[in-house]
Amino acid sequence: MQQIINGLSLGSVYALIAVGYSLVYSILLFSNFAHGGFLVVGGYACYFLLTQWGYSVPVSMAGALIASGLTAIITERLAYKPIRERTTTTLYLLIASMGVNIIIENLFVVTVGGRIRALPQNTFPTGIFKIAGVTLSASDIISLVTAVIFLTMLQIFLNKTRWGLAIRAAACDIRTAGLMGVNVTFLISLVFFVAGILAAVGGIFLSVRYSLYPQLGSITTKAFIAAVIGGLGSLPGAVVGSLILGLAEMLTAGFISSQMRDLVVYSLLVIMLLIRPAGFFGKAVSEKI
Amino acid sequence: MRKFLLTLLAISLLAVPAFSAEPIKIGEIATVTGDFAAYGVAEVESVKIAVAEINAAGGVLGRPLEVVMYDCRTRQEDMVNAARRLVEQDKVVAVIGPSGSGLCIAAAPIFNRGHVAHLGTLPTNPLVTVDESGKVRPYNFRICFLDPYQGAIMAQFSYINLRAKKAAILYDVSSDYSQGQREFFIKSFEKSGGKIVADEGFRGEDVDFRSQLTNMKDSDADVLIFPFMGKSLPLAVKQARELGIELPIVGGDGYGDFMWEISGNTLRNTFWVSHVDRYDPTLKAFFDKYYEETKTECQEFMNAVMAYDCVYWLKDAIERAGSTDPEKVRDALEQTKDLKLMHCVLTMDEFHNPTGKDGVILRCDETERKSLFFTKIRPE
Repeated sequence: MQQIINGLSLGSVYALIAVGYSLVYSILLFSNFAHGGFLVVGGYACYFLLTQWGYSVPVSMAGALIASGLTAIITERLAYKPIRERTTTTLYLLIASMGVNIIIENLFVVTVGGRIRALPQNTFPTGIFKIAGVTLSASDIISLVTAVIFLTMLQIFLNKTRWGLAIRAAACDIRTAGLMGVNVTFLISLVFFVAGILAAVGGIFLSVRYSLYPQLGSITTKAFIAAVIGGLGSLPGAVVGSLILGLAEMLTAGFISSQMRDLVVYSLLVIMLLIRPAGFFGKAVSEKI
Repeated sequence: MRKFLLTLLAISLLAVPAFSAEPIKIGEIATVTGDFAAYGVAEVESVKIAVAEINAAGGVLGRPLEVVMYDCRTRQEDMVNAARRLVEQDKVVAVIGPSGSGLCIAAAPIFNRGHVAHLGTLPTNPLVTVDESGKVRPYNFRICFLDPYQGAIMAQFSYINLRAKKAAILYDVSSDYSQGQREFFIKSFEKSGGKIVADEGFRGEDVDFRSQLTNMKDSDADVLIFPFMGKSLPLAVKQARELGIELPIVGGDGYGDFMWEISGNTLRNTFWVSHVDRYDPTLKAFFDKYYEETKTECQEFMNAVMAYDCVYWLKDAIERAGSTDPEKVRDALEQTKDLKLMHCVLTMDEFHNPTGKDGVILRCDETERKSLFFTKIRPE
């Protein structure tokens, strides 16, 4: 039971990150590997707002969300838009996103240094609860609840607002949506802003839980795998894939061997791609990278 | 004005002997960026302090010391490149640092081929100074004690001082350092009569250890053994406490003050093997000077003290050799006996390891938020 709770807690953080991947993929049909970089921006923004400028926890977190969201928009405008305007091959976008990720990581190495930091201990409530022999930490509960809140808010935004409708329309066919009067440039910026916000939430959680360092974004590889398993482009798929992955990791490490953890995760990915390349909830597309 | 100029001239003339002599180049390799950046920065600063002191006191053989430093980023290929440059291009007398065993082992062939001595600051793996067949590597030395020694210290401390009969281990499967300590801990603990009830591994870059810790919690152990270092250490301690494990935790020399930032008070009831006691009065002057020079507290104090003493060890060897010929300096390093350094009296054994050093056990104190001296152990 304890291992299941551990797995769900890890899966919920993956879910926040995986949804960001899926969101961008659903519109532009490419996997934005700079997502890990946005996450690091969020983590550091929160850290500096809290520790150097002394802002309160809610203000710092809001600042972190905005910082990541803006970074995502700037990245899209400077790196992806020029490529989109020149070619329809999404492979170039994918390569550019890898480059952006490395740039962001190294910017932090050069400017603030590679040392490991931690958000102040009182950022989130700490504490341990014991329920029927299972130990739950406050951070487990908060990460689960936050993931649910943010994913619900995202679902409401997509289903109940005009811009949500436009995003869904663009996800079906971005060219037709453009022809129907949707401001595609603004729409893409909006999608990146939302993805940046989700990355920042993930970044804050990871920083509280695992500490903060420029390479923290590498954890998004697992979230990306989760998004693929669930079906790239599908938001419920990203959530389900993340929970499956979190559970698979924890149960493998707990009952087989921790050295087998990555072997199982990557095997899951390969098996999924062989049996059902579109993932659990994904729509089949000819070019999926 | 004229008087002032004359005084200035007199001062510069007095200073001439120290500056006109050609400097003696010594090499230094440190992990200034990457995962172990904090250790590397402390190493660089301490070497600077020692060299400045020596130069201010007239240098070595009447010549000032000059440090040629390269960053190896905790990467073995960077380490090899740095070693090659120091040996082949910069023509240094000897090389100091870094702290990591894997890095020192990777560059060992370069130093032996180039016939330049290498002084590791904190590489505790046996293979740093001997090869796989147990033959000593002629040009490799270290100033710290070894993993077998550390493993035995951890085992004796757990069995005797903590009265633990059952131990649960978490170790890094991708690290020589961790593997070595685990192996020697198990040997020594079982020899004393103890039992290993859980033996869990993780991979270097992992950040979540809760599944392994859950197994360790269920193993009915009396003590948790954490023989690894870097960010994994504070994360594992924190996650153990979050799972409600309040057992004492014992680890090797991976402790650093940076752990308080990440683990906070969860470091309570943890014990760490150390090469030195941070609050040893004989080290106070050094730490004060470190603060004065850098305006920061010396957090990675073990590596800092070792690097500082390595410079003085090398100075002594050059003076005894009466030459800057790397071969003669190597011979002098090998023959080091009863050399009084800041943290110990140094004597080399036949395998280029220091003999008879005490292992210090530090205990983390949550009210003072620092590691305090707990006891000294010299295993049989």
